[in-house]
Amino acid sequence: MEQILANGLYLGAQYALIALGLTLIFSLMNVLNFAHGQMYVMGGFVTYTVVAQFGLPFIVGLLASAVVLAVIGAVCERFLFRTVIKRSKREESTMLLAAGIAFFLDAVILLVFGEKQRGVPKIVDGVFNWDMRLIMPYDRILIGALAIAMVVGFILFMQYSRTGRAMRALAQDRMAAQLMGVDVDRYSMIGFALGAMLAGIVGGLLVTITGINLGMGGPTSVKAFLMIMIGGAGVISGAIAGGFILGMMESIGLTLLAAYGDVTYLAIFATLLVFLAIRPQGLMGKPWG
Amino acid sequence: MGQMLNFDNVELFYDHVYALKGVSIDLNEGETVALIGANGAGKSSILRAITGLRKIKSGRIDFMGERLDGTAPADIVRKGIAMVPEGRRVFPFMSVKDNLLMGAFTRSDKADIARTLDSILTRFPRLKERYNQQAGTLSGGEQQMMVIGRALMAKPRLLLLDEPSLGIAPKLVQDIARAIVAISRDEKVSVLLVEQNSRMALSISNRAYALSTGSVVLSGESKALMNDDRIKAAYLGGEV
Repeated sequence: MEQILANGLYLGAQYALIALGLTLIFSLMNVLNFAHGQMYVMGGFVTYTVVAQFGLPFIVGLLASAVVLAVIGAVCERFLFRTVIKRSKREESTMLLAAGIAFFLDAVILLVFGEKQRGVPKIVDGVFNWDMRLIMPYDRILIGALAIAMVVGFILFMQYSRTGRAMRALAQDRMAAQLMGVDVDRYSMIGFALGAMLAGIVGGLLVTITGINLGMGGPTSVKAFLMIMIGGAGVISGAIAGGFILGMMESIGLTLLAAYGDVTYLAIFATLLVFLAIRPQGLMGKPWG
Repeated sequence: MGQMLNFDNVELFYDHVYALKGVSIDLNEGETVALIGANGAGKSSILRAITGLRKIKSGRIDFMGERLDGTAPADIVRKGIAMVPEGRRVFPFMSVKDNLLMGAFTRSDKADIARTLDSILTRFPRLKERYNQQAGTLSGGEQQMMVIGRALMAKPRLLLLDEPSLGIAPKLVQDIARAIVAISRDEKVSVLLVEQNSRMALSISNRAYALSTGSVVLSGESKALMNDDRIKAAYLGGEV
């Protein structure tokens, strides 16, 4: 039991960070960022390159992932999404653009980093063992704690900083935010950069545990969308709830359903279908979107 | 009392339909000017043109001797123009406190912002009671007080009010009218008021313009307009 909870918490924190980035971009710009998983993979490879290739400390790799992905996010918003949103009123346009960016990033990752699975040496050794009831390697504990700290940091930033407040205002009423003097273009770019940065940071965190490979982008995007469907799109609390719920479900499934084969995600999808039929806006979502 | 706003022969279209057909209005420092007229007469379009939310087709807008049209909405707020939009447009999932702080988004002096916040909470004590509540849970009247306070947080020189009495309980309309008078007196802010409630608008303004289908049809001192037979027939008829 303790083991399942601890695993769920550890996974959930990573997932919540991914979902937060996705939901931030959605709430600010009404864009479904299908490239979110690729941004996560990109973050993993950047940390891998800095740590395993250049031999620099892990924290430098993590910072590099954050910076590189923030720049990629800002560029995507400034030169791609902003132009498309100005020219087209149809939502499919930004969806197609996001899907295009996903394929493009996949191609770039293949070209630059190759198709091999990559990992970095353990950042801390040793295993925490509480009477065989709860066993967790120290590096997992560290990564989980870092992720939880970042979720908390993100909430505090959105709640109390001037920039965070402006982004919340923009998400709730674009026109009123403009009347307060919020520059919509500027804050959309900041929001997109921040969302992509969160994806990149999780990639950097998880490369130390599970490693990274080219094929993880698509499935990660799917999981991210699952989470914000569970929690409710565009709501911060929803993304966090969705992340931890999916983490817990996976943890429970992998322990209890392991005997029946690889059916965890089958069970999760089936549950989600029923759940969405009953509550299409998700747990914390607003019926009007 | 110098001229503050000059709105000169402005034309504005919404998707090829005329919203303003060469409208000219002006406003002097310290004045409260009302725009009255039926739904669709173009009153709100004038406010949207001033705040930069809508681009004008021709004509020009000057504020404090500087050209205003073509400036981005965010920069117009920085020049000292704050608007209370129609339908209130609160940030529903933010606290009253955060809504008010958003009003001061363009300001950076924290001590000065705190002073303004204090004076607004003194003016609208209800907001103090609801300070940490989500704005979406307030009543219509409370929301209207809050968005007027939010606009004042910018320390504007010109306050634009778009239908402040719309959807407000009749007995609260008087409170709002009184608040507008008190604000223009205490804060030395000029007010451009758009209202369908013409009687209220004329009773608290110095001058007024009556609009119909995108043109100014009558203008003058509010007191005189209140006794004008044409105004009585067209705008004050139904209300006693």
